[in-house]
Formats: sequence, C-alpha cells, structure tokens
Amino acid sequence: MKIKNIAKVIGITGAVFLVSCSSDDDNTPVVQVEAPATYVFERDGESTVSFSGQTTRIAMAEAIIGQFKNTATTEAIVDAMFDHQENADDFEDATLNASDKSVRNKTAASRDYFSSNATDAAEIKADFDSWIKGQIDEVFPNWAVMATEGNAGFLQEAGGGSERYVNAKGLEYDQAFTKSLIGALMTDQALNNYLGTAVLDEADNIANNDNGVVADGQVYTTMEHKWDEAYGYLYGASADPANPNPTIGDADSFLNKYIGRVEGDPDFAGIAAEIYDAFKLGRAAIVAKNYTVRDAQAAIVKEKVSEIIGIRAVYYLQQGKNGLEAGTVDYASVFHDLSEGFGFIYSLQFTQNPATNQPYFSKTEVEVLLNQLMGATNGLWDVTPATLDTLSDTIAAKFSFTVAQAGSTN
Amino acid sequence: MRKYLFLSAFVLTLFVVACSSSDDEGGTVDNFDREAMLENIADNIIVPAYQNFSSDMTALKTATSDFVTTTNEANLVSLREAWLTAYTSWQSVSMYEIGMAEAISFRNFMNVYPVNTANIESNISSGSYDLSSISQQDEQGFGALDYLINGVSDSDTNIVGVFTDATAGADYKEYLTNLVNRMDALTSQVVTDWTANYRDTFVNNSGSSATSSVDRIVNDFIFHYEKHLRAGKVGIPAGVFSGSPLEDRVEGFYKGDISKMLFNANLDALQDFFNGEHFTSSTTGQSLKTYLDFLNTIKDGEDLSTLINNQFNVARTTAANLNDDFSEQVRTNNSLMLNTYDELQKNVVLIKVDMLQAISVNVDFVDADGD
Repeated sequence: MKIKNIAKVIGITGAVFLVSCSSDDDNTPVVQVEAPATYVFERDGESTVSFSGQTTRIAMAEAIIGQFKNTATTEAIVDAMFDHQENADDFEDATLNASDKSVRNKTAASRDYFSSNATDAAEIKADFDSWIKGQIDEVFPNWAVMATEGNAGFLQEAGGGSERYVNAKGLEYDQAFTKSLIGALMTDQALNNYLGTAVLDEADNIANNDNGVVADGQVYTTMEHKWDEAYGYLYGASADPANPNPTIGDADSFLNKYIGRVEGDPDFAGIAAEIYDAFKLGRAAIVAKNYTVRDAQAAIVKEKVSEIIGIRAVYYLQQGKNGLEAGTVDYASVFHDLSEGFGFIYSLQFTQNPATNQPYFSKTEVEVLLNQLMGATNGLWDVTPATLDTLSDTIAAKFSFTVAQAGSTN
Repeated sequence: MRKYLFLSAFVLTLFVVACSSSDDEGGTVDNFDREAMLENIADNIIVPAYQNFSSDMTALKTATSDFVTTTNEANLVSLREAWLTAYTSWQSVSMYEIGMAEAISFRNFMNVYPVNTANIESNISSGSYDLSSISQQDEQGFGALDYLINGVSDSDTNIVGVFTDATAGADYKEYLTNLVNRMDALTSQVVTDWTANYRDTFVNNSGSSATSSVDRIVNDFIFHYEKHLRAGKVGIPAGVFSGSPLEDRVEGFYKGDISKMLFNANLDALQDFFNGEHFTSSTTGQSLKTYLDFLNTIKDGEDLSTLINNQFNVARTTAANLNDDFSEQVRTNNSLMLNTYDELQKNVVLIKVDMLQAISVNVDFVDADGD
C-alpha cells in the first residue's frame, strides 16, 4: 500500500516534468479533476462540508492555553478543560460545555501513529498534563519573583516589553504546551488520521463514495467528511473557512497561525496556497471518485504542513541563538523563542514524510533533540549558540529548506 | 547573500523548467564610493551629534546635582530645562544603534516609554533594584526622569515636596541621581568608543556584505524610522496597532507639551542623515541621497531621492497641524494623528523597498512575533 502510494506520487511528478520539458505529446492519460475556486462542495444544493468538531476543539484549546496566565486557576480546573466531558461546566462558552468533544482524547490519537501504540500516546498525554501541573505548582508561586538560573519566575523583555514566566530551567510551560499541541492535536489528527488511507478508505467508504451513499442522516459521504475534518484543523476557526487564505494566520494560536507566519517569509511565500489548493483538489477528487489524485494531494498537504513545523522549529532556535549572541542578552526574549522552539521540536514527531509515511523525526529522535536543548543543569540558561546551530542543522537536513531560509523571515 | 542564494535557486528552477542551456546571471556591484559616505556619516554627523548629546548629558548631571543639593522650585525648573535639552539632543543620536550602542542596548536603557511608574515607586521605596537588568528598562531613562520631575505630583511645589519629604525624600533624590548617573555613564561609554576606535572600524568596513557598515547603518536608520518614529511616536498613541488611541503612550507624557517637538527633532535628524547634512552646519556630504543620485535611481519618472525628501517634507507639514501635546491630539482629533502616520508610512515604502533595492541592501530585522 505504502509503496503503491509513492509510485503514484512519483508517476504524477514525472508526468508534470515530461509535459514541461518535452515537445511532443506522449499521451500520458491526464486525470480530469478540477478544483473549485473555493472550498465549497454541495450535493443537491446543500453544502457537504462539515468540520464543526475541529472548530470546537480549536476553541477549547484556546481557552486552555489562556489558563496558563490565570494565577487564580487550579490544576483541577485546567485538567478538566483539557479532558472535557460532555455537559461539564468547564468553559465560559456554553456551547463548548455542551459539546462531547475533548482536546485531550484527540492528543496523540491518530490512526496511523497511535492506534497500536497506546504506550507512546499515554506518555505524550502525560507530557501535556505535566506542563499544566508545572505551570501551577512551579511557576504560579513565583509569579512576582524574578527568575534566575535554577529558579522559576518572571523575566521582562527588553524595551519595557512582555513579561515571560519560566520554570527553573528557563522553559515557558505555556509555549511548550501550545506549540506541542500544534503537533499532537492539529497535525497528528489532520496528517496521520484523516488524510491517511486507513481512515479515508475504512470499511466501505470507497464503495459508498463511489455510489454516492451518504453517511447516516448526513448530506456528505463518510470519505468526504473525513477529508473535511483534516481541513478543519487548519482552517476551522477562519473568518471565511471556504476561502481562508486572505486572513491566514489570524484564525487561531495554532497551525493556522504558523502557516501564516511561514507564508510571510519570502523564502516560503506560496506555501499557504499550496496547502489550500491541495486540500481543494483532493476534496474535488473525492467527489470525482479519483483516489489517485486524492492521495497525491494528501501527500502534498503532509509534506507542506510538516515543513511548517520544521521551519518554525529552526526559526525559533535561530532567533534564540541570535539573542544569545547579542551584546546585551535579553533572556526573556531568548527563552520565549526557545520555548516556542521546544514545542515545535516536540511537534516534529507528529509530522509525516509522504515518501515513507513516517514522521521526519521519531519520538525517540525528538527526545534526543529536546535533551540537547534542555539537558544541561540549568536547561536553557546553559544552552550555547553552537548547540542551537547543531539542532537547527539536524532538523533542516531532513527537510528541503536551509537553516538560512528558515532562520529569518526575510 | 541569502537573496542571491534565493535568486540562484530561482534561476536554477527556471533553467530546469525551460530546459535551456545558457545562464547569464551577473553581479551588480556599483562604483559608488561607500567609504566616502561612511566617512561623512561618522565624522560630520554621528560623532558631532554624540559629542553634543554628551555635553548636554553632562549639563543634566550638573542640574540634577544642583537640585538634589538645593531642592527648590527654581532648581527644579533648571533641571527640567536641562532634561529637555538633553532629550532633544537625544533625538539626533537615537537611531545609531551600532557598535557600542548596540552592544550595551543603549536606546532601550535610555528612552523606553511608557515607563512603569508602579515599579519605579517600588524601586524607590525598597531601594533594591538593578538598573543594568533588562527587566528594569521601563524604570529608567528619559521617560523615568519625565515621571520624577514632571509627573510625581501635580505642581512644582508638590514635586519639590516629594523630594524634600522627611521620610521618602532622600530615596527619591537617590533614585533620580542614580538614573542620571547611569545615563551619563552609558553615554560616555558610547561616545568614547566612537572617538577612540569605532570610527575607523565603521569607515573601513565599507564592503557590501550583510555585516558591512553601510548595510548595518542603513538598516538602523530604517528600523528607527519605522519602529521609533512612525510607530513609537505617532502610530502607537494614535491606536494604529491597537484599534483605539492610547494617550498615555506618547513620548514625554508627564511633561505633556513636548511630544511634537521631540518628534520633529527626530524627523529632522533622520532626514539630515538621509541627505548627509553635517550636524553643525547645513553643508552636505556623501549620503544615501547622493548614492541614489549617483545610481540615477528613478521612480515614476522622478528621482527617488527627491521623492523621499518630498515625503519627509509632507510628513513634517502634516505634523505641523498637530497639538504640541500628542496626548491632547489623540483625545481631541485623532484623525490628524492618523494622517501623519499615513504620510510617514508612505516613506517606509520608498526607503525600505525602492531605496534598498537600488543600493543592494537587505533588510536585517523583522517584525516582532507579537506573542
């Protein structure tokens, strides 16, 4: 199955190349799937696009990360928000409370990576739990204390800037949590669950989609819906979810935000359109019952979304390095950058290389990287520019971008 | 450098797509005498501006000492005048965050505003603070002095009262003295470095790499124009980035009627830098303007240097209608502030895009992440 998918991708790439470079037509069968202008799909005049569950989880995640700066909160309150149960009074928003969705039960929970790896899934969930607990037990009691090597507290950024709240090793738990969730929830669910054939083609999904058999009580086929659910993790909070790129980056604090940030770097301009176009064409391919085109588009999304995470990991490591090399080190800014970098490195284990169907960095490899970053006695207080360069080189080497391209946004 | 790498990757892509067999990429080194420009900037602009600022800082130190020794309203008025003179001269050096100034983060220790008055008060009462800490940048500098000599109470009599208070007066005097001494010491450090060694380093580093003096000083100029003039002095109080006006974010907030004057001083200094105008006279030398003219850079049928100067002038004319106190301005008629911002913004495009392209300099700073 995996080999077959790769062959399809290579076949399509080769065809494009041949069309570009040869002067005569070699009669390669051209697949006629046309993407609509925007992500709008209908059956009998009714929209078949639905991803409300994703929009809900993004909203819950926003509320959870907001708690990291609320010193009045308790571990029990945040844990309950993270692991929401239907009708529990966890959120200010009544519709979130009524929802049966939860962030925690979809954290490290994809079919491809975790359906037969409950051990890793439990360890990853425990990491998120530990960041909540750490913020409340270690950081909150030192909220008004200036952080020093080995001691939690606050640090203010230069120029009368923001205050950053770090643990004894200089790590901001809220950044660790937020940026790691981009991998463990949004990326893992989109790439390794909904865009995988294990989910798209499950049971009689293909036959039903071929025959236009819709899901019980719905206007969409199950396969259409699975694809939309992947889409929802990127665009579910957008002002205009059908045409999200005009405001890309503004929709949430998670994957959407960082697609926007990478798009803003001229080295990568166009990546937002590549991801969106692949989603649109893949969805049109499902309507056209053309699963070859669908899987080729899934491969593009997997590659590009993985790149977003790799690029931002290197970006923050390089920003931290630049800060450490300044004449006057602004530790609040440096630790903030490196804490974001920590989360993006953590998220690398949820990427997927479409050529191998494996993450660009395994969980074990991510642990090695994070240990290089945090492993010294006082963690980030001790990390050197050389180590940050080594980490950046290691990460960039697995992708098709350079450290220089990712390291700045111009 | 990265631009070229990117370009060559682009060319390579075209090459592959077009299946062509020739490649005629060429370099674009111009013959403008960059060293002569750096010499003019260092010897006739930066160093004299710093020396002038340094002597105003010395006068401020003296006035502070007089006020602390003889704490009365007359000496408060003198101190305030010395403060305002130095604050105005500061506007002519604040853009040069290069060399020692960059190493010690000079601008952030000298002029962060708004200041955190609660922290200033707690520093004064506890007597326990480290002014060299980055976390203390909004508790020192010209803005903190503004609070101490203009904002700590509601009249000159009462301000003097704070400094002569039997219990806390001595602590206020000590804090005031410490702030001024630190500003003076940092200034000496920067000025001495320029005259003793950095001047030659600066002038001799006349190449065209990202770390050359031209690339760096031009970036400092644009960064300052964009972040500290356009945004700091005008855009932020006008609410451009927050959606509604923020009257307490103006420079010289506690004095109240000096924000326009400081803005104008800074605008003039930036334009003079562009034109290579000597600090002490109206003589001009090699500059970004002469560089653009040398390259004969034209935009929309007009010399780019003329367009840039025209736009500086439009911004100045627009700002001439503003209240001396920008707080008052944003409270009463913010659209005039927004107009000024828009005129300032137009020059960002001309200098950051058109000018940089002409002189082959890349932007080396980015907008803060904002989170």
